[in-house]
Amino acid sequence: MSRSQRIARDVLSSLAAQRSRGLLMMLGLAVGVAVLSAVIVIGQGTRERILGLVEQHGLDMVMVRAGGDVQVFAPQADSGLASLVEADARAIEAEVPYVDLVSAVQNQRGISVVYEDRALITRAFGVEPPWLAIRHRDVADGEFLSESDMAAMARVAVLGVKVARALFPEGGAVGRTVRINNDPYMVKGVFIELGADAAGIDDWDDRVVVPLTTSARRLFNRPYLEQIVFRVTDVRRVPEAAGRTRDLLAVRHGIAPGQPPDFFVREPEDIEGAALDTASTLSALLLAISLVALAAGGLVIMNLMVASVSQRSREIGLRRAMGARATDISRQFLFEALFVALAGGAVGVAAGTAIAAALGAAGIASSRVTWVPFAVALVACVVIGLVFGIHPARRAARVDPAASLRGRAA
Amino acid sequence: MIEVEDLTRTYRRAPLETQVLRGVTFRVRRGEFVVIMGRSGSGKSTLLNILGLLDQPNGGRYVLDGTDFSRAGDDERSAARNRKLGFVFQQFHLLERASALRNVTLPLLYAEQDPGDAAGRAEQALQAVGLAHRARHLPSELSGGEQQRVAIARALINDPAVILADEPTGNLDAQSGREILEIFRHLADAGRTLVLVTHDRSIAARADRILVLDAGRIVGQETVASHAAGAPPGAAGHL
Repeated sequence: MSRSQRIARDVLSSLAAQRSRGLLMMLGLAVGVAVLSAVIVIGQGTRERILGLVEQHGLDMVMVRAGGDVQVFAPQADSGLASLVEADARAIEAEVPYVDLVSAVQNQRGISVVYEDRALITRAFGVEPPWLAIRHRDVADGEFLSESDMAAMARVAVLGVKVARALFPEGGAVGRTVRINNDPYMVKGVFIELGADAAGIDDWDDRVVVPLTTSARRLFNRPYLEQIVFRVTDVRRVPEAAGRTRDLLAVRHGIAPGQPPDFFVREPEDIEGAALDTASTLSALLLAISLVALAAGGLVIMNLMVASVSQRSREIGLRRAMGARATDISRQFLFEALFVALAGGAVGVAAGTAIAAALGAAGIASSRVTWVPFAVALVACVVIGLVFGIHPARRAARVDPAASLRGRAA
Repeated sequence: MIEVEDLTRTYRRAPLETQVLRGVTFRVRRGEFVVIMGRSGSGKSTLLNILGLLDQPNGGRYVLDGTDFSRAGDDERSAARNRKLGFVFQQFHLLERASALRNVTLPLLYAEQDPGDAAGRAEQALQAVGLAHRARHLPSELSGGEQQRVAIARALINDPAVILADEPTGNLDAQSGREILEIFRHLADAGRTLVLVTHDRSIAARADRILVLDAGRIVGQETVASHAAGAPPGAAGHL
């Protein structure tokens, strides 16, 4: 064993022999680390919950509709207005900041879908492949439309779950051929079940989706769009992206200032974005509090150790007489600070994550336990142990051995 | 073994300047048992601190076991304290929370090389002072005499060239004091070099030579002839 290892072991057995000293020192730090870990666990849980909300409600999506009317919910009839075109979608993709995915959308009601002796009338959508991600949809069976389907104007369709159940009560829709407005389409996939929207007007499960090129050239045979949808990279940037889209389309459509536009940009209500902001402000505040608590814990260690340097000057003198160099003494106290800090951190991180997890289980807060608080606590405690241990360690190294050994009492 | 030449030590605490050692010169041969006597304030503790490499002289020369330490740095002096010196103090200076065994191993903590079987060596050292059966006891569970014997075992564990003792019997009853003194006598007879500081004349009688220090100078020297012949082995008989 090297001398440092021997000293480290000696410090551990000294601490073990005198636990009360170490316990008192680590208490403050344990509280600080507990708060910090709880903040991290709850912060991660909250973030996850809000991201889940964003996911669920498409809060990162902006929709542009043809027609100037304010349409909060899906319109009763498809507009059929000749105002939005695919070039608008490409322009948004190229020029609006924070936009990462764009899809032009056509849709039309009253489309007949037939499989053998079963038939129904539904609503058809022509979309581009990014649409799936933008609208946070997913395919349960088979797969979604691809770029090659787009390029080939392929007669392929993805069915809403109600359509699939109506036409294929025994299942196995994928790979079969259905007739949509009398043309044969191969079923590529079936959506997961989504249910009706909040207003109960628009049933997500009652529709068929085909490639945009197919709908524009074959199924609907028209170039105009009902919608353009796009996804924004940062929920907090949605209002800005929506504003830039309005400006861009006004210019492209030659709308003079003061004139009503022939399009409508609908952005999700900003409440959840604000919630995310509030949550991050709150966790920043808690983080600051826990950093103060950590610093306080470090100061407690430092002060108790400085006091113990004076109390233990005789021991220091003795160790010096036995051959300890000044650096051995400072190392001893630094190790002691480090071990106490690590022990305090271990207690703190265990208590903090347990409390946060319990709050999560009780439904009081959202919590998610990961390795992060443990890693943060480890790093924080090593840094605190070293930073706040250096001062007492230097003092210990400066103790005059000759003077300290003159002390009375055995 | 020890060569001290014109050693001076002055303490300055402005505006006061106290000259504690005013030119001390003497030698100690290998295997010699020397007692330094003097009243309190004569400078004997300061001299012992310098001999123990815990303090540095302002002037003069100090050669220990062939090495001049008059101007040595902390690391060099620390290494020499560890390898060449063993200390025995009036207040024993044992770690209160550590067993006798762990106290004895303390110098091995600071050895240059891996000490190997530290516990085994400590047990041997305790056996040499007749305390093998007390190895697991805390100092508070031992008598004063036993505590001082633990301290002697600790001083011996690195097989030092010189043992320095500062009033080693000062905190002991007469009987324990005699036993400790017999251990020292026996160590000297076995070839160990000892320097002991005391103001107690009865202790000096067991030494080979007495140096009398007064006001920072050696003022007298006498060789003791009576100790060796027929001295009862006493408590140190098994050493």
